[in-house]
Amino acid sequence: MAAPSPSRPQKISIRNEEWDRRLHEVPISKNDLNRLIMDYLVVQGYKSAAEEFCHEANLSAPVDFDSIESRMNIRDALHRGDVEDAIARVNDLNPEILDTNPALYFHLQQQRLIEYIREGRISEALQFAQDELAPRGEESPEFLTELERTMALLAFDALPSAPPGIAELLSPAQRMKTAGEVNAAILESLGQPKDVKLVGVLKLLEWGEKELSDRAEYPHLHL
Amino acid sequence: MSRSTARSASIPIPRAQPSSSRNIESVITLPVSSPRSRGPQPIPILQHRTTDDQRTTPNNGPRSVRTSNISVATSTSPIRPVARSLTQSSPSLTMRSSPRSTTTGFEPRVIRGDAARSVTIDPACLSTSPASPLPRTRRPSSIPATPRASSSHRSPSATQPPPQTVSFARPAYLDESAMRHLLQTEAPPQILPPGRKPSQTSRRSPTPSDDSDAEGSPPPKRRTADTAPEILHLPTRWSESYRHDFLSISQDGRDITYQGSSCTGDRDAAAARTTRPIPPACGIYYYEVDILSKGNKGHISIGFAGKDVKLSRLPGWEPNSWGYHGDDGCSFAAEKAGTPFGPTYGTGDTIGCGIDFSTNTAFFTKNGSFIGSVFRDVGKNVELYPSIGLRHSGESIRVNFGQDRFHFDIEFYVQQQRARAWANIMATPVSTSLLSSAGPSSVKTPATDDQTRGAINKLVLSYLSHHGYTKTAHAFQKQTQEPERDHDVDMDGEGLGMDGDMERRTRIVNCVVEGDIDTALADTRRYYPAVLTANEGLMLFKLRCRKFIELLLETTELKKQRDMEMLAARKADAMDDDEMGMDVDEDAIPLEGPGDVGSGADGEVARSSKDRLEAALSQAIHYGQSMLNDYQSDARPEVQSLFKRTVGVVAFHDPIAHGGITAEVARPEARTELANELNQAILRSQGRPVRPALETIFRHTAAVVYELGMIGVGAAAFADVQKEFIDATPHSAD
Repeated sequence: MAAPSPSRPQKISIRNEEWDRRLHEVPISKNDLNRLIMDYLVVQGYKSAAEEFCHEANLSAPVDFDSIESRMNIRDALHRGDVEDAIARVNDLNPEILDTNPALYFHLQQQRLIEYIREGRISEALQFAQDELAPRGEESPEFLTELERTMALLAFDALPSAPPGIAELLSPAQRMKTAGEVNAAILESLGQPKDVKLVGVLKLLEWGEKELSDRAEYPHLHL
Repeated sequence: MSRSTARSASIPIPRAQPSSSRNIESVITLPVSSPRSRGPQPIPILQHRTTDDQRTTPNNGPRSVRTSNISVATSTSPIRPVARSLTQSSPSLTMRSSPRSTTTGFEPRVIRGDAARSVTIDPACLSTSPASPLPRTRRPSSIPATPRASSSHRSPSATQPPPQTVSFARPAYLDESAMRHLLQTEAPPQILPPGRKPSQTSRRSPTPSDDSDAEGSPPPKRRTADTAPEILHLPTRWSESYRHDFLSISQDGRDITYQGSSCTGDRDAAAARTTRPIPPACGIYYYEVDILSKGNKGHISIGFAGKDVKLSRLPGWEPNSWGYHGDDGCSFAAEKAGTPFGPTYGTGDTIGCGIDFSTNTAFFTKNGSFIGSVFRDVGKNVELYPSIGLRHSGESIRVNFGQDRFHFDIEFYVQQQRARAWANIMATPVSTSLLSSAGPSSVKTPATDDQTRGAINKLVLSYLSHHGYTKTAHAFQKQTQEPERDHDVDMDGEGLGMDGDMERRTRIVNCVVEGDIDTALADTRRYYPAVLTANEGLMLFKLRCRKFIELLLETTELKKQRDMEMLAARKADAMDDDEMGMDVDEDAIPLEGPGDVGSGADGEVARSSKDRLEAALSQAIHYGQSMLNDYQSDARPEVQSLFKRTVGVVAFHDPIAHGGITAEVARPEARTELANELNQAILRSQGRPVRPALETIFRHTAAVVYELGMIGVGAAAFADVQKEFIDATPHSAD
């Protein structure tokens, strides 16, 4: 290991017992953690788990559970590849969601195009791209790039040879990405937090571990 | 941005008056509190003069009478009598008017103000000239200590500390810091007993000391990893030790006036800094400076400096110093020429100066408007002090460290910056190795959303299982497995544990929560016998203690029930009597002992509940005796102290209502705590972690961020775990 540079103070070191003491002193209660769990269940749409959790952990319902249900129906439709159904359901819920989110609407239409291509309905795909997507592509460079990327799928008939950046459009992850976007937009329209707190905790942990391991020797996270 | 009201032009004007008037003002407002203020009148003059000598011979302060300076002083002070009576009451005032040369020989000077200083011979000259062999940059090491010490020797009113800065509330913008609870303003340092200082002050030399300032309270120990967290002191005043000789600092530590005089030339830069460095845990720190007078040229620098930056240089000229100069509006960071930055500033302006530790950049404001951010790597490897530099006599400033309202809307600014810093942190991709058992790896592969969700699902499931939320766990498991079968959410073994085990454990734990200790004990004995024998039966003992308390609480309930029944019976009796009886009865009931049973049918009711009460009491006592038998020889302090506390409950009529430690032992929350303990004991007996992984992650994260804040990573101050993750989550608990 290189000698520490003079400007960088030497790493401090924190012993196990001291670290344990500090872990112990973090002010977090079971109820706090329960609420974090509930937040996760609600945002991710685990409705029945959330309902059970209300009873078992003695929490009052943070949201109307029916709203979870409709969000989940939309998500499921997207996971199935039934974009039309999803769009209809979103509009049933609140037409403003798509009206006020051009990017979201574009991504849904893009997903629809992807589904056409996946199913080999090439002529429909072309028609749809020309009618629906091309005009929007003129609205923003981001839309245009995405449209071009999607259309490139047509060029690669044999999928294995497609470049990863293009083939990934056909992966389940792309569906989930779109579904996640829709989920977030619905939550936002309901005035509910759209970011999962637990994910935030992990991000903060990732950031903090990196920053602190540069400066200190301390016990690693031990699960 | 400029929500704060524009500074009225009329405000600065009084401030801009020559400092003589200000001096008088401050003299007058001083508490004239010394009862003996009219005492030794002529003496102080002589004494004060001697302090010039005392500077070189600290602490002995022989009252040798010197005359040369006196003549100067007397001849130039036209209103001496008045001055004397006023100043007498506050010896420390001298430090303000001429801190460098004398302690209390100020009387004439207060009156003379700037006039005397600039026109004729300034006594300051007299004292500097003999010192001329010393380099001008000499740090005024023992100066502040000596005069103070000697003043407390000499002055009649020295026994009471001279008026100090009024301590002030922590500025509101600092509430944005996650570590706000540690950030404190403080009353400025008290005058220390003589003889104490020299060791500290003389230590100024090149010792690579920690961060302690010579002034004031014991050095704020830089926290080593193993000491408990301490208070982080905020800057509150300019330092008397770390200021150039030419600068005089007002008694409240906020004003700085250039006192260098014509005899020494007027080109000398002179700087001062605060007593305390800025804790990076502030996230952003901000202070404002009123330019009371820019003198002729406005050679004023406002900024930051490291601990030991030369005091004969303006902030920004030297390495580890940064400044914004009033005469040309340039910013300086270890440069002589300066870089064009903002407008010039002068008399009547208010300049704000901030440091953002999350980006290590500085920013400045003028009269409430943002000028811009400037500099890089400010205070990255050096402790940072607010610092001011002046160059000409007549220049004078007053600082606001939060004592007064800020002109600039710093709260709004900090909120924005905090949000930005937090967004940056939240843009960190979670890596696949974060939660792997291999520990953090240097190779960071960003996890996909799926992987992240999978990891969280696993955490959630094990959390639910840990706390025995059985139904939730099953529902969750079902839902997570369904649509995303390809996720490797580890649902077996580790998650829910052996089938039925979670349910059993949960049932036992719930029994304790409900107070059914017998069932809990029986089931534990049956399914997890190791729990009761571990630690020489400590868990068993605790459960039995609780059982005893439950028995006692039962008697309390029965007692209440009986009393109620009797009261009802009395009431009924009274109703049967005539109406007049009401008044009488209301008085009478409390007077009668509870055991004073009425007649007829009422007595029967009371008797049956009385029987039950007696049965319960005897059961409780019996149980207590058997415990005493079993545990009186157990020497473990933990056992004995818990036993004592438990038995102590007997003494109270209604232990929970009684409050204090008794209620703590008896109240229902104690059941939950015990249940939790039992849960952990069972898990431990199975070789499982006593904390859910999720909780460990949360605690670890919070501890990491806290440590980062303490060691000066500014962004950590804007990572408010509590606010972001706990407070922001809807409080849905009943």
